[in-house]
Amino acid sequence: MLTFVLGGAGSGKSDYAESLLAASPGPRYYLATMQVWDEECRRRVERHRAMRAGKGFHTLERPLDLAGLTLPEPGALLLEDLTNLAANERYDPQGAGPRTMEVVCDGLAALHRQTTHLIVVGNELFCGGTEYEGDTLPYLRMLGQLHRRLAALADNVCEVASGCPVYYKGKEPSLYDPV
Amino acid sequence: MILVTGPLFSGKTDFARSLLPAGTDFSAAVCTDAQDLAAGCTDLTVLADELAGRYAVVTITEVGGGVVPTDPAQRAAREAAGRLGCLLAARADTVVRVFCGLPLVLKGELPQ
Repeated sequence: MLTFVLGGAGSGKSDYAESLLAASPGPRYYLATMQVWDEECRRRVERHRAMRAGKGFHTLERPLDLAGLTLPEPGALLLEDLTNLAANERYDPQGAGPRTMEVVCDGLAALHRQTTHLIVVGNELFCGGTEYEGDTLPYLRMLGQLHRRLAALADNVCEVASGCPVYYKGKEPSLYDPV
Repeated sequence: MILVTGPLFSGKTDFARSLLPAGTDFSAAVCTDAQDLAAGCTDLTVLADELAGRYAVVTITEVGGGVVPTDPAQRAAREAAGRLGCLLAARADTVVRVFCGLPLVLKGELPQ
């Protein structure tokens, strides 16, 4: 199963996505994509670690090259988050650069094959206007395309607002009949 | 008229195209990016009437979600875009929000 969880900053999407992971059959992996640059990054990572503490997730850190990742055994995996991963691939000297779109899609497909439930968190960045400087607009165009591709593949797609999920496709994974 | 709203790069134009019968002249049937017409428009009501009368489908990008722009012209343009969206929705038989390429009907229903 593939579930795509979107939301704005502070919308509660991480908390909601973690609840989906906790409700999935184990083993449960949390895949962190953020590269730690500064004190703010460190604080953010700490906050997320504290949120996950005691939930029994196995944390993996992978800012680039998802396709090269092999899970110890199949399980449920939460990838947090797609926005970061795409920016890492696009801008990091070690990243995929202009091939970001296909590299990220291939990486997600490789992960999907190794998981019983893949949950991907993304950011809703697209309601803040149409005028941006530098590479921001091309990056957003690429990310929007990535979102549409992933949403087309996903079984479930929701947007979280103030902690409440709104499903555009499928339904909350726990509502499916047990196999 | 069918109004297709949604965030930037969410698949609104592709969805608008999917609503048209085969062989339809896209540019004659669809007005894309109506938000751009709102900036500097002196009468949004007249503009909304014109668009609703002339096109089968109108798409508009939701641009009001970010921080208020410091530039007065950008501030006014974004406000006008939002107001035009409301005026168009009031005139539309059907309003659809496209999110990540997925349509959600907000008003009326889609033609079969």
